[in-house]
Parts: sequence; C-alpha cells; structure tokens
Amino acid sequence: MKNILLVIITLQLFIFDLKSQEWIVPDDKKSKLSTFPFDDITRKAGEKLFSVNCMSCHGTPGKGNFLNLVPPPGDPATEKIQRNSDGEIFYKITTGRGQMPSFKSVLSSPEIWNIISYLRSFNKTYQQQVMAVITSSAYPGADIGLFLLFNSSDSTVILRASATKGNSTVPVTGAEVKLLIHRTFGLLTVDEAKTTDKNGMATFRLPDNLPGDTSGNIMVSARFVNEELFGSSTKDTSLCAGIKTIPVNLVADRAMWNNVRKAPVWLILTYSLGLLTALGFIFYVLMKLRDIFIVGETLSSEKPSKEK
Amino acid sequence: MSEKKNKKSSEDSKIDEALESSRRDFLKKVGIVGAASVTGAAAVYSGYRYEKSKSTGDTIKVLTEDNRLVEIPKDQVKDYKPGLKVLQTRGREGINGKRWVMVIDLSRCRNARKCVNACQGAHYLRPYEYHINTLVMQESVNTPAYYMPKTCQHCDNPPCVSVCPVDATFKRQDGIVLIDNERCIGCRFCMAACPYSARMFHWQEPLSKEADKGKEYNIELNVPQKKGTISKCLFSADRLREDVLPYCVSACPNGVFYFGDENENAVTNGTTKETVSLSELLEKNGAYRLMAELGTKPRVYYLPPKNRLFKFEKGAETDYKETT
Repeated sequence: MKNILLVIITLQLFIFDLKSQEWIVPDDKKSKLSTFPFDDITRKAGEKLFSVNCMSCHGTPGKGNFLNLVPPPGDPATEKIQRNSDGEIFYKITTGRGQMPSFKSVLSSPEIWNIISYLRSFNKTYQQQVMAVITSSAYPGADIGLFLLFNSSDSTVILRASATKGNSTVPVTGAEVKLLIHRTFGLLTVDEAKTTDKNGMATFRLPDNLPGDTSGNIMVSARFVNEELFGSSTKDTSLCAGIKTIPVNLVADRAMWNNVRKAPVWLILTYSLGLLTALGFIFYVLMKLRDIFIVGETLSSEKPSKEK
Repeated sequence: MSEKKNKKSSEDSKIDEALESSRRDFLKKVGIVGAASVTGAAAVYSGYRYEKSKSTGDTIKVLTEDNRLVEIPKDQVKDYKPGLKVLQTRGREGINGKRWVMVIDLSRCRNARKCVNACQGAHYLRPYEYHINTLVMQESVNTPAYYMPKTCQHCDNPPCVSVCPVDATFKRQDGIVLIDNERCIGCRFCMAACPYSARMFHWQEPLSKEADKGKEYNIELNVPQKKGTISKCLFSADRLREDVLPYCVSACPNGVFYFGDENENAVTNGTTKETVSLSELLEKNGAYRLMAELGTKPRVYYLPPKNRLFKFEKGAETDYKETT
C-alpha cells in the first residue's frame, strides 16, 4: 500500500514537472493558419531566415546538433516540435520564453510563416491547411485609414480609425491599435495597446519625459495589432509632443583630454609670451656670456703684444 | 670640260631622280594622310554620334544631400567612394546630435562568443586579439561566477585621450573614443592609462595585409590595421553612420546587448530588436558602470547578473564551438 502511494506521488510529481515544462499556447492562437500556401519559394526564404535567426541554438534541422542548454532547444525536425500546430509554432516564435528570445520585432508574420514552411519540409506526413479566405477582413473592400491628433493640454494622442468604401465612411470599432515612436534603431512602444470605441477613437497617454528633436517633434507611428483582420495600414506623423532636446556635444566643454584644442586665446597668448620671455632671457644671458668671452679673448691677445 | 659636263648631267639626272622619287613619296604620303584623316574623321564623327545618342538617353532621379530631387543622365552616375580626407574629417567630428550608449545585461550572457567573433571578423583581428572579450568574473569565493562581455567603455572623461602625446586617440561629439592609426606612434601610454584594459597593441603585421593593399584607411573601422599601433573597440562607428546596430550587438543570440542614443532615451536590443526606454531599463534593473569611482564616466552600463537564464558552466564556450 505504502509503495503504491509512493509510486502515485512520484508519478504525479513527474506529471506536474512535465506540465510546468509544457509551453501553453492560448486556444485562439493554436488554430492560426498561414495566409499563403507553402511552396519552394517560401521554403527557400525560410531556410535563409532560419540560418540567420534560429540555427545558432537549434542547429541544422534533422542533424540534432542543437545547443546543450537546459531546457534543450530541440531539433525542429523531430516529432516533439513537429506535433505542434502551425499556430502553436507561430506563437512560440513570436513570443519566446526563457532563453528563447521573442522574434516579434525581428521577423514579420510572413517571414515567420516562411520559417514554418521550411520546418515543415522535414515532416513527410504534414498537410498544410491554408486560411480559407485569404484575409478575412473586418471591413471587406474598404480603405482603412488612421488619423492622429495630439492634445497638448493633457499630453494625449487621439487616434481615429475609419473605413472608407465608395462615398461612405464608417468608424472602425473594436480594433486593437498600438502607438509607436521612431527611434534610431527601432520603434518604441508607448502606452499599452488600446481598443477603438464606437466612434473608432482610442486615446494614448504619452510619457512626460519623451525626448523629441530640437523643436520637440517626434515621429509617431500607429498601427493595428491584428494586421490580418484590419490590414497593415500605418500612419506615420510628426507630432510636437516631445521635450525640446538640444543634443549634448560631448566635446564642447574644456576637459583634461582636450585642453590643447579648447584653450582660450588669452591663455594661449599668456603662455606663449611667458615662454618667449623666459627663452629670450636665457638667450640674452648666453649672448652676454659670449660678449664677455670675446672681450676676454681680445684682452688676452692684446697682453702679449704689450709685453713685447 | 666634258668630264665636268658629264658630271653635271649625272648630277642633274640624280636630282631628277631624287625629285621623281620625292614626288612619288609625296603622292604616297598624301594618299596615306588622306586615308588616315578620312578614317579618323569618321571615327571621331561616329564617336560624337555615339556620345550624342548616349547623353540623350536615360536619366535617373537622384536625391541630393540638401534634399533636392534632381535628374541626371544615367551614364554620368559614378559610385561615391569617400576618400581618405573625407573619412578622416568626418571620423574626427562624429555624428551630430547623437550620444551613443550601450547596456550589457549580464544575466543573459552565456559566453556564446558570437560578439567576439563578429567583431574580430569586422576588424580583421586574430582569434587572440580582442576588441570585445567575455571575461569570467567572480568577486569572492561565496559569490557566483558569471560572464562579462567587456568593450571599450568610451568614457566621457577618457584618461587614454589625456595622455596621448600625438593627438592620435580622441573623443568625438557623439561620445565615441577612436584611434587614428595614421597618427599613432605606438608609445602605448594610452594602454597604461586605461583602467579597463580595453586597448590592444598590434605586435604583428595585420591579418589581412595582402587583401588590404590599396584600401583607403577608414578611421571608423581601423582597417587597414597597422603594425606597431594601438587598436580597440570602436562601437562600430562605421555601422552607426548607416544607422545600423554595432557588429557585436546584432550578432548576440541571447539578447545581452542594448544599444541606442542617450539623447532619445531609448535603446534597442540587438537580438529581439525591441526598443525600450533607457532610463527605465537602467532604473528597473539596478544598472551600474565599471569603476565609476575613478571618474571616467563610462558610456557602457551593466545590468547585474540577477535571475540568470543560464547556469554558469566552465567550458560552456567550448560546447558552443563544437556545434557551430
């Protein structure tokens, strides 16, 4: 009896351990499908992307030469990874977990699908399911536009999304939108993603300490979170919403390491004059000594003649 | 007399002969010159026709430096290659309006050595010559060991620049400390002055001596390298000019490096390409700078090795090499 209990406990612990290691993917993400069928072109593109982004940890698919990490990254050609649905792989690449970095800012959705296409080429039994309608757009056939307005009184950015079809314009409601700010090497997300209200509007609060350019302008970009549903329309505008930032010139001030180049004129002049005076005095003394020497020479040469 | 006459006549005939031959020659020459000039003219004309047809051909739209869109003939487009003078001047000035800053997250480094390899590849360094190196750090017996990538700290108060007797090493307005290998005399004062041991000396002829022949010296890349001079991390100044992340930052597979502009208060992770607020990142993680008490004001920040994703394993780097 005791033994059985022990076995049950260890088994449960084992199951619990397995469960904690399992990577839970939300149900709505599991069924996500590629919008395009996989072919040789997508596989080629995927192979290239895989070698740049994934190979350093996962190794070459089918070779099992992945890194010796805890937990192991695993070979993508094995059954363990291949039994994931397309949506699950897509989710895992996008979000990342632990040592696996998130690729949502590195790879676009089509690029991730290309990688999945490449991975599926190692699975002989795989049958691809493509999204039934290529894009099940929320506003079919309409031009979706985004407009941004900066409210300086409470430093908020108001976004309005509208769908135009022919002459009629309707607000885009219930769409998740995000606000991004252009920085040198990427886009900085400000505030959280917001959902548009019944007027198609969403309000973003900007942080107070957002540096802009010399006149306080910042390049703002708005886009939909769910681009498959609402399209990839983006709005890039320059808003006067940042702090006026005068760039700090790190070599402008005088310092120990730039004293030659940054020295003021009066200092250079005083120093040079002082140096010249000192050197001139030494030179003057030397000339005087020379004079004395010459006088001595002439005197000593005159003396013997007098003796004669 | 007759002899004289004879002589004279013979002389006359000689002159006649000479005249005859010179006439023949003359005609011959005229013929040749005429033919040549006709061919030449034809060639020149056809060349002229060709040039004319060329210049009336395709044009191309070009955006000038002052943001004007101009149209120029396609055949007049030449690849722009900055000369030594341009490279030296702009390399000394730096990029206006920027203040580069690097953040290194020690909790993520597992000594994959990708940063080291990328750097050595870019600057043609030997495997034992480092601009960036990952060190094994252990402060005391009871504290855990961790890996620390160490670059040049690009100090705002650089002791190396203070001691340089020939103005070969210098600081730029965007914060980068560079070396001009054309000026460096190899005295190694800067190596002695640097508290971070960030500098290296070229004891040998550079690795790519043959390949570098005739290449213009780029002060922002320190290539071609020169024997008997100093070299060190440059924050990949050549890449920053094109708004691309440094070699080491983009090569890291573990998200260790963040790089950005302090003026914008934003840094971008080289692996995930996620942009975050610099001040928030430093504050939330308790960032510190190396030997800040020396007053060197480094431009590289470190995030402590807290909640590490990797266990410290001696020899992890060799594991890595086998798989790549």
